[in-house]
Amino acid sequence: MDFDDTPDEAAFRSHVRSVLEQHADELVHVAPGEQSPDPARHEADFRRTERVLAENGLVGVTWPREHGGQGGTLVQQAIVAQELSRARIPALINHIGLGMCGPTVIAHGSDDQKSRYLARLLRADDVWCQLFSEPASGSDLAALRTSAVRDGEDWIVNGQKVWTTLAHVADYGILLTRTDPSRPKHAGLTMFVVDMHAPGVTVRPLRQMAGGAGFNEVFFDDVRIPDAERLGEPGEGWRVALTTLMNERVTIGGAGTDLGLSPEVLAAHARGRLPSLTPEQQALARQAVGRAVAAALATRYTGYRRFTVLSQGGIPGPEASAGKLGGTTAAKLIADAGVRLLGDEAVYAATADGDDTWQKTQAYLPGLAIAGGTDQVLRNILGERVLGLPPEPRTDKTAPFSGGAGRLSGRVDGSES
Amino acid sequence: MNFDLDQDQRDAAAGAKEFFTEQASPGAARQALEGAGPVRPGRKALADIGFLGITVPESAGGGGGSLLDLAVVAEQGGAVLAGPSLVTAARAAVLLADQPELAAQLADGSAAFAVVDGSPDGSAPSIDAADATTFLALDGTALVVGEGEATPGKPMDATRGLANVRLTSRRVLVEDAGELWARARLAGAVVLAAEDLGAADRAVALGVAYAKEREAFGRPIGSYQAVKHMLVDAWAGVEQLRSLVWWAAWAADAAPEEFPLAAAAAKATAASALERAAETLIQVHGGIGFTWEHDAHLFWRRAKVDRFLLGDEAEHLDAVARLAVAGALG
Repeated sequence: MDFDDTPDEAAFRSHVRSVLEQHADELVHVAPGEQSPDPARHEADFRRTERVLAENGLVGVTWPREHGGQGGTLVQQAIVAQELSRARIPALINHIGLGMCGPTVIAHGSDDQKSRYLARLLRADDVWCQLFSEPASGSDLAALRTSAVRDGEDWIVNGQKVWTTLAHVADYGILLTRTDPSRPKHAGLTMFVVDMHAPGVTVRPLRQMAGGAGFNEVFFDDVRIPDAERLGEPGEGWRVALTTLMNERVTIGGAGTDLGLSPEVLAAHARGRLPSLTPEQQALARQAVGRAVAAALATRYTGYRRFTVLSQGGIPGPEASAGKLGGTTAAKLIADAGVRLLGDEAVYAATADGDDTWQKTQAYLPGLAIAGGTDQVLRNILGERVLGLPPEPRTDKTAPFSGGAGRLSGRVDGSES
Repeated sequence: MNFDLDQDQRDAAAGAKEFFTEQASPGAARQALEGAGPVRPGRKALADIGFLGITVPESAGGGGGSLLDLAVVAEQGGAVLAGPSLVTAARAAVLLADQPELAAQLADGSAAFAVVDGSPDGSAPSIDAADATTFLALDGTALVVGEGEATPGKPMDATRGLANVRLTSRRVLVEDAGELWARARLAGAVVLAAEDLGAADRAVALGVAYAKEREAFGRPIGSYQAVKHMLVDAWAGVEQLRSLVWWAAWAADAAPEEFPLAAAAAKATAASALERAAETLIQVHGGIGFTWEHDAHLFWRRAKVDRFLLGDEAEHLDAVARLAVAGALG
């Protein structure tokens, strides 16, 4: 057991560190105690940040060289993520493209698609989004209704997607559609790459409960997609989507700067705020802080165990879902302790001096327990695929989708968008 | 980074599993509770196989191992509710670091040790004091060794051998032993957490197995989300506890500056993880889980006792917070 870098890893880390120092002026940073800026409002800065990092080999670390990546290891990718976090660089604008869409193109795309998309994706020349969820199918993703109908060399797409993160700045998306309603729901799906600037694509930002507009609804009205933009075979869309979802859960630190939600940040906050509380408040606040720090460290070290398995060539399995579940719980505890430390000011949306960091963090967390698989769907996955418990009966699993299936369902994989 | 057991530790865990499964069981814990049998495997068997001396230096007849080496063995003992506890071995080995003769007696089992919590003139309930003959205690700031009278209370979990102790003789081993005592107590807390890890892991496995075979409304109860999610939460708690136990046990020898926070986090988490696992085990079984004959209550008893030993959850969460605020996270 050993948490230190090997000599190779230490050399790589110091290389990463020197690149970040050398190019500091060209990169977006988050000041201590500040929220991450909205990538949509600072789009040019965020795209430049990612381009500079890509030009220096710090994006797509594990991607094959032939697709513009570095052909590096998971450990190197984790080191980059740690150093970006240390340098206070917020999540990259293309984190969905890097974590989910890109790996799906690598696994299922044609040579032509790979050469057209992947290098540009790494540099944030194109930002990507993931068009999965719909108003009537969130957790039950395979019940989606957006249709794609063959028309000569093209497909005509109609329908609506929702909760689509970054659609308002995205250039491309991976789009899961239903191409054969006569087959059971998982069997009639097909995946495409869609040009977000194509005629018939309409993006409408949705205001979130925390006040920001990080996600959107996206409408498709007779959108024409060339058959060359199909990802995988017709009817294979579910298998393609599982690649995306698997990558979503093992994107180790790909977007994972924990700015604002780490036990270290909470400890620093507590150091500043505890003295201003009454002794009784201090004792109660310390319980909340201790519980949050213990939960965050338990999640962090459980992640280290999974990471060790992956770095030694192990296959990522369904237990990765436990990481998200634990992370959500720990984040809630951190936010609760952070707000509690504000004392009487905890009931306002900002402190008297205008600081709303912890209130904003608190308001962002309910979404964390939904995005990328709800806590409940993750528990189903863990119960069935790790503990081997039987699934709930699913009345719609084998019936044709057009026969009205999709009203009762059991285990499915949620997705972010 | 390599956060995993090495092959030697995995082999040791496999050997320990074999030994404890043969030598102890929840059934034996029930018999001990009924006064119908000894706590098993008992001191002699633990000494003979070398488990009492895992962290005693080789020069004093021990195994010269790390706290992590001891923790992976202790986990297997916890899985079958074995007694006495390896907590005593862990604590005593730290306290006797400069006492090779006494350490040798700990390792070979020729003296039956217990570490006394609280005042040597009338202690708090202390682990495995009930049948001990040689007591280590903190007398003011001095570490003392001596004989004593042990008065057991009515046991909630007989395998813990709890008793209140009054020392009848004492000899000073270390004059200024406050820091040494604290470190030994934390080492004990980590091994207690390791035993709780084993018990919680087994409780979840028993619950999962039953949920697969028991049927209600025409299907296995484990297919219902209410039951499934309860088991998943208990399992997730076990996996988180495992990470903290390994980290804390590793830190004891490899990163002493991280050890106090890691040990407190592990002990606090152990209290809640084992409680949840044991309560889930009973709930999943329904009425049968609430019977004397079923093993579920023996895990539950272990949980209800262990959560208060060597500091409860609130004490250790407070320590985590104080240490973190003081900069222990870096």
